[in-house]
Amino acid sequence: MSKHEKIKIKKLTSPLLNMGDVEIEFGKIEDDWEEPQGPTPKPGVVALRNWDRRLMERYEPFYTPVCDMCCLCSYGKCDLTHGKRGACGIDSKTQQARMIALECAIGAAAHGAHSRHMVEYQIEKKGRDYRIDMGLNIATEAPIYRTIIGERPKTLGDLEDGMDYAEQQLQHIVSSLHTGMEGDFKDYESKAMHAGMLDNLVMEIGDIAQVIGYDFPKGESDVPLSELGAGTIDKEKPVILIIGHNVVPGVEILTYAEAYEKADRIELAGICCSAHDLIRKNKSAKIIGPMSEQVRFIRSGMADVLVLDEQCVRVDLLEEAKKVKTPVIVTTDKIGLGLRDRTGDGADQIVDDLASGKEPGAMILRPEKVGEVAVKLAERVFPTRNKLRTIPDKDEIKSEAARCVSCEECQRACPVNLHISAALKDAKSGNFDSLAELRERCIGCARCDSACKKGIKPLSLIEGASDYIIKEDRYNVRVGRGPILDTEIRNVGPPIVFGEIPGVVVFAGCSNYSNGGREVAEMAEEFLKRRYIVVVSGCAAMTIGKYRDEDGQTLYEKYPGNFDAGCLVNVGSCLTNAHILGAAVKIPHIFGRRNLRGNFEEISDYILNRVGAVAVVWGTYSPKALAIGTGLNRWGIPVILGPSGSKYRRLYLGRKDKEEKWDIYNARTGEVVNADPTPEHLVYVAESKEEAIIEIARLVMRPNDNVKGRQIKLAHYIDLHKRYYGTMPGDLHYYIRQEGDIPMTMKPEIKAILEKKGWKERVIPDPTLVERLVWKKKDKEDEKDKKEEGR
Amino acid sequence: MKMFATPWVRTQTGGTTKAVPVMPDAASRIINNAKRPVIAVGAAINDLGDELVERVIKLHEKGIPIAATAHSVKFFERKGVRDVYEVGIIELTNLLTDPEWSGVDGSGPPDLVIVIGINLDLTNQTFQTLKNFTDIPSLSISRYFMANANYSFPNIDDEIWLLYLDELVWKVKERGQ
Repeated sequence: MSKHEKIKIKKLTSPLLNMGDVEIEFGKIEDDWEEPQGPTPKPGVVALRNWDRRLMERYEPFYTPVCDMCCLCSYGKCDLTHGKRGACGIDSKTQQARMIALECAIGAAAHGAHSRHMVEYQIEKKGRDYRIDMGLNIATEAPIYRTIIGERPKTLGDLEDGMDYAEQQLQHIVSSLHTGMEGDFKDYESKAMHAGMLDNLVMEIGDIAQVIGYDFPKGESDVPLSELGAGTIDKEKPVILIIGHNVVPGVEILTYAEAYEKADRIELAGICCSAHDLIRKNKSAKIIGPMSEQVRFIRSGMADVLVLDEQCVRVDLLEEAKKVKTPVIVTTDKIGLGLRDRTGDGADQIVDDLASGKEPGAMILRPEKVGEVAVKLAERVFPTRNKLRTIPDKDEIKSEAARCVSCEECQRACPVNLHISAALKDAKSGNFDSLAELRERCIGCARCDSACKKGIKPLSLIEGASDYIIKEDRYNVRVGRGPILDTEIRNVGPPIVFGEIPGVVVFAGCSNYSNGGREVAEMAEEFLKRRYIVVVSGCAAMTIGKYRDEDGQTLYEKYPGNFDAGCLVNVGSCLTNAHILGAAVKIPHIFGRRNLRGNFEEISDYILNRVGAVAVVWGTYSPKALAIGTGLNRWGIPVILGPSGSKYRRLYLGRKDKEEKWDIYNARTGEVVNADPTPEHLVYVAESKEEAIIEIARLVMRPNDNVKGRQIKLAHYIDLHKRYYGTMPGDLHYYIRQEGDIPMTMKPEIKAILEKKGWKERVIPDPTLVERLVWKKKDKEDEKDKKEEGR
Repeated sequence: MKMFATPWVRTQTGGTTKAVPVMPDAASRIINNAKRPVIAVGAAINDLGDELVERVIKLHEKGIPIAATAHSVKFFERKGVRDVYEVGIIELTNLLTDPEWSGVDGSGPPDLVIVIGINLDLTNQTFQTLKNFTDIPSLSISRYFMANANYSFPNIDDEIWLLYLDELVWKVKERGQ
């Protein structure tokens, strides 16, 4: 590959020259990688446009505007309702697609900036030449990087090449969002997919850098369990709480505490993905939970020092922290909160100023200094803060509830429409159960607090009423293992591709659940019991750890961590979503013997048609989640969103009733054949957990499933449909290609249904959407080329 | 007298248009004037036990086809009502944007979409799509005022809601009569 190489000459003596300590650096040297370069190394913004359009011919963008207007430039506001155009000529569909592209670019930039920082930081610590070694069982170290960049990264320094590419591409995408640029919604969608793909790439880069730099687990399935939940915190110790996604400051706190033998004397806990990554470094750190816990935990007063890094950090945390006298340290250039930059000041001076309350917090941009200041500060303020809290006791709840005038503004502001006002009425009379019951579904956003004209803080009242629940908030989560091993892919590749492992179900994303987090755990268990492979990451991985079965076990205690049927894999933080995609990319490479190098279209075509994976993002809120999901779509992986996902504005929906949409090449013969409508959608919103379960079972079907595989998948689909809907599915005739597909035990019943529907047998093709991948055609072309060369 | 209502979720304002708030009498006239109405019923139809399901079945008995979204189908199944069209609300809305779609009963695309019992976000987004990308009018008979529909019940409590639905059932004419 192209890379930087260094030669050091300690001493050279010759008749002409004497020299010593010379270092010569070469800019680019060609790699010895025998895999031929594919058609699209480092694809530009339009290089994969044809692939995107092919996808969108089948999966038409479906728009559901959040706002009917455009307010992006001072021509506007422009009203785009029902066919109207804005002053620049834009229509509503194009504007929705533009917003999608913008959100995907924001998401990719957030992960990108994080990853760039991680790569630079690890280079600073380990050197540019530090080798990428993902362990004995991983030879395909960076499947996404290889496919997109067309190179193999061998060192930390090589990763910079991928970052350079992604940053350059993002600039082009963002420029297209300017007024008077793109006028076609599908072209904006293609740009959104490009941004999503870049997001996937930079996540992989960032996580590889931290895996090798910090020696995180490299795909081991027997990673330990770590403590999860506010109830696990030892209040007798100073508590440092980190919030965000960039673990560098957190690791430095850990390093300092260990170096000065204070690790046992402080509690280091985290919220969001920095916590996930922290336990990959040291499992003694604790995870409080996902983003929904931020305000609640700070109001509980348990945190003695608050350390913020980046992404998904509530922007009002400084204000919240001030109320409980918790000093705040901000650690990146993304979040300043108006705090003074103290990076150049002495650690003790900063500790003095923050402990005395002279300043509410400080910006410290050197992670090592964050480590020292955070530990010293926590120890200093711990005895005087006395865990000051703003969560009311029962008497206070009662008197606050008595001020409520039942205007219901709190409920109207609540994203999940909780009946807060009614619960306050009960609390007024001394019954706190209704308030406590709200906690399960409360997403902790505090919009109710802002909405209350009387200044009541319903979020705190809910928290106060739930004291007994919080004490029991003691669970566990399996430490994020990072990548999937090549050896695991070798084992499960064939049964996944033929459908005999019925599917890979991914639960990822944020905690904006419309009906509580329990549903994520219930969905995961439904598919674990059925021996699907279940993979989790980010907030979802924390959420499912917070539920126990009747025997008191969490899913992590019940199901092993291998990438295999009936297993539950936690890959880890947001960045590690790249390894889930990476596993899908490795299947065509390791099992299907397809080249990865610069070969995006072929790999995605393989995944779309052969790898029965589906991602569920049940609590969507962030642009990052949208970018990840849109990237997955470009790679051919369908995504199911919870109800809040409808506010992302766009879905990619198939129409199984339109037969012509499902024409596909049979790669064996070159014929165009009409395949079964699988996977039916690329992005779908489910209204309820039950619908999501049915949709998962449907969306793991692939045209390549063999008869046995399809039988298994259909048996689950039918069984789930009967269980959750109480009926036989009405669309079986679409998914049964040949009689052999019918589950054995249901043959007479289903054959009768098929007869009524006028069902006809279909070919099971060797499926591809890409004409050049037809074997026959390709062979003929090769022959033709040879003849022409001969002439 | 002109009624005034604000969206229950105050931010669900959309843009320059706003639903007309309607009482059951006006809602029944809108339904009676439609040739091919459909009622989309979501999983929250069971939130008040049988109360809502039974009222929707009464509307169905007057000849309005039901599009049962998510797992609402099982609530009808329990009541022995099997001639419902099972579809996701997102799929249904997508089908409604296709003027060539043959409709839930094959008689052609609906000319009125009535919505009840669907998650608030999804209800609003459904109305947004219908408003912006179809000519099909929409009516919300949920207990919350949905500003992006064409017509909507105002914000009411559960008790009033059931009374509204009773009046609606009473005033909607049987199809074909």
